[in-house]
Amino acid sequence: MYGGGYIPAGVEETKAQAESPELLAQFEARITRGEKIEPRDWMPAVYRKQLIRMIEQHAHSEIIGALPEGTWITRAPGFRRKLALMAKVQDEVGHAQLLYSAAETLGKKREDMLNDLINGKSKYSNVFNYPAETWADVAVIGFLIDAAAIVNQVANSKGSYGPYCRALERICYEESFHLKQGHSVFVWLATGTPMQREMLQNALNRWWEPIMHFFGPSDTMSQHTETLMRWKVKMATNDVMRQQFLNIYVPKIWDLGLSLPDPELRKDESTGQWLFTEPNWDTFFKVINGDGPCSRERLAVRKVAEERGAWVRAALRRADARYATPLA
Amino acid sequence: MPILSLDPRVNRLQVEQVPEHQPPVLVPGDHWPSYQVFHQRRRGEKHSSVGIVHAPSLEMAMAMAKEQFGRRGETSNLWVVCTADVLEMDYADEEVFRTTPSKSYRDPAGYKVNEKIDAYKAKQTP
Amino acid sequence: MTNQPLPTAPLARYLLHLADDQLVMGHRNSEWTGLGPILEEDIAFSSIAQDQVGHALAFYEYLNQECGLADPDQTAFNRPESLMVSSWLVEQPIGDYAFSLVRHWCYDQAVYLRYESLSQIQDPALQALATKLRGEVKYHTFHANTWMKSLLQGSEESRLRMLTALKEVWPMALGLFESWSGEKALMEQVGHAGQPWYPGERHLQQHWQAGTLESLVLWSVDVEALGLHKVEPVLGGRQGYHSEHLASMLEEMTAVFRLDPQAEW
Repeated sequence: MYGGGYIPAGVEETKAQAESPELLAQFEARITRGEKIEPRDWMPAVYRKQLIRMIEQHAHSEIIGALPEGTWITRAPGFRRKLALMAKVQDEVGHAQLLYSAAETLGKKREDMLNDLINGKSKYSNVFNYPAETWADVAVIGFLIDAAAIVNQVANSKGSYGPYCRALERICYEESFHLKQGHSVFVWLATGTPMQREMLQNALNRWWEPIMHFFGPSDTMSQHTETLMRWKVKMATNDVMRQQFLNIYVPKIWDLGLSLPDPELRKDESTGQWLFTEPNWDTFFKVINGDGPCSRERLAVRKVAEERGAWVRAALRRADARYATPLA
Repeated sequence: MPILSLDPRVNRLQVEQVPEHQPPVLVPGDHWPSYQVFHQRRRGEKHSSVGIVHAPSLEMAMAMAKEQFGRRGETSNLWVVCTADVLEMDYADEEVFRTTPSKSYRDPAGYKVNEKIDAYKAKQTP
Repeated sequence: MTNQPLPTAPLARYLLHLADDQLVMGHRNSEWTGLGPILEEDIAFSSIAQDQVGHALAFYEYLNQECGLADPDQTAFNRPESLMVSSWLVEQPIGDYAFSLVRHWCYDQAVYLRYESLSQIQDPALQALATKLRGEVKYHTFHANTWMKSLLQGSEESRLRMLTALKEVWPMALGLFESWSGEKALMEQVGHAGQPWYPGERHLQQHWQAGTLESLVLWSVDVEALGLHKVEPVLGGRQGYHSEHLASMLEEMTAVFRLDPQAEW
């Protein structure tokens, strides 16, 4: 569902070179050849750490992402929308499951990942720290945020780590249903009654800045970024993905006669690049560090869900259970 | 004070804010061990590895696998195996298989008879 | 709100019981999505909820096409509480997972029996529908049985929670089999095998009770000690009398739809 979106790296660069120049060379050659790295392959510590962080935070984005739209499950208008939203949010939980599983192959346990989510140590896509105030928010999230996520996911699915690619393949397939469903709700509201259209326009106005934040600030092409791109961990720059998104979806929004709250937004036909007002990155960092409108609520709900289910899990836990790092 | 949410479900849960220094909520092993899932799309096809489920038993793992891996597309059959029971080959041993493609004596393409036949026929013509 | 009167024809009225029950049950069960005790079970329970809402839709569609009721969205999303004929069991809030599971177990066993008898009806469309839906409920009962057995035999705490839930659920589960006005007439309707297809609520209840009690005993539940034999059924749902929970549930369920019931959503 909501492909990671940009989350600041915060991973210190260690000297991978120092680990073993021979193994590193083999590792990099494999990636250059387009082959995948599998869980028990030798890999630089930074690669492992970065991947765990990336996949884990993508998983958190999915499970938390279930909450803003989940807000409207009980209020979806009519059978078609009710069933579709139930299925969609279910998929988000399903994607979280697939992604936690992929991250687990690298050695971090699911319990540790969930604990880190709840205590605020691990991050997730900022966009879910905003409230879904009306039914129309479901349309905006389902159409535009899913669209942004797909841009991200399609790029990442060509990455180097086998289990993550395999999980993304499945996720991308399900995403195409989500996008169609989201677009459908969007179009029905846009072409509906004045009340419906106004609800949608308001939602668009509120969500545009979080959407513009989705891909993160312009990449400073550091050595770190360059290494991650060489290792096919980072597959495209934030700017490239943002441009892709704007290029496909802004015309679709304008086509319905809806407006976007950025007077500078337009495509420069000579360069093919979209121009826009630079979003407020201070706000972005404030929110991602736990101070968004719903940040506290999202984590609190996740905590309560885990706590209230603890007796169920404990009841079936066996002393002779055999744990092993998953293969995926 | 419970958090006030836009989601009526959340309000019914009466959720409190997470404290500043939240200790771990989940104990080790809390989410059960993992089971590898193998999925067969149609009869006659192979079962393929599709991922894992966390479950307390084989029976539960099967129930969960049906949901996670069978709710879309076609499914004919599923297998579940405890991850701890799977012996994984070491990728370092991959080189054992490196010369396999070049063992032409095991390969149908390694047996070309046309040249020999043609040469024989050529010899027969007076 | 559509104040269209409730159908009086016995079959239509009976199908409306099924439809309303599935709608409310599915809606309640969907409240667990994203909040379940573990990811894998969250996913499973959500499928059950979707099935139930889907079943409700199928019955409302039949009622719309064959029995003159308004279209499914109008019937489900625009009806006052006093005209809903769902049972008390399904409208209760989700409670803890023990409550929801025990309710799920009791409810889906009853639904299975109803679909089984409905698949004997003469009308080929309903016959086919009941047969198809029964397949899904089979999975529901499998799921419920697995969890009932596991948690009754799990830990001290899980057993206690499940037994508490059983005591709470049982009177309302009995209420699923409330007598209703068209019951006798429907019992005379002949099915495709030449026999009546609908055995009536008493018979369905006996069948249901025999099955559930047998399982409970097998799982070492002391049904005597729980007093399950002495319980009075909670009635009223089929007559349009509901607990205080249905009104607020419907209010929530229909909030967006009622912003403009004639709009296309």
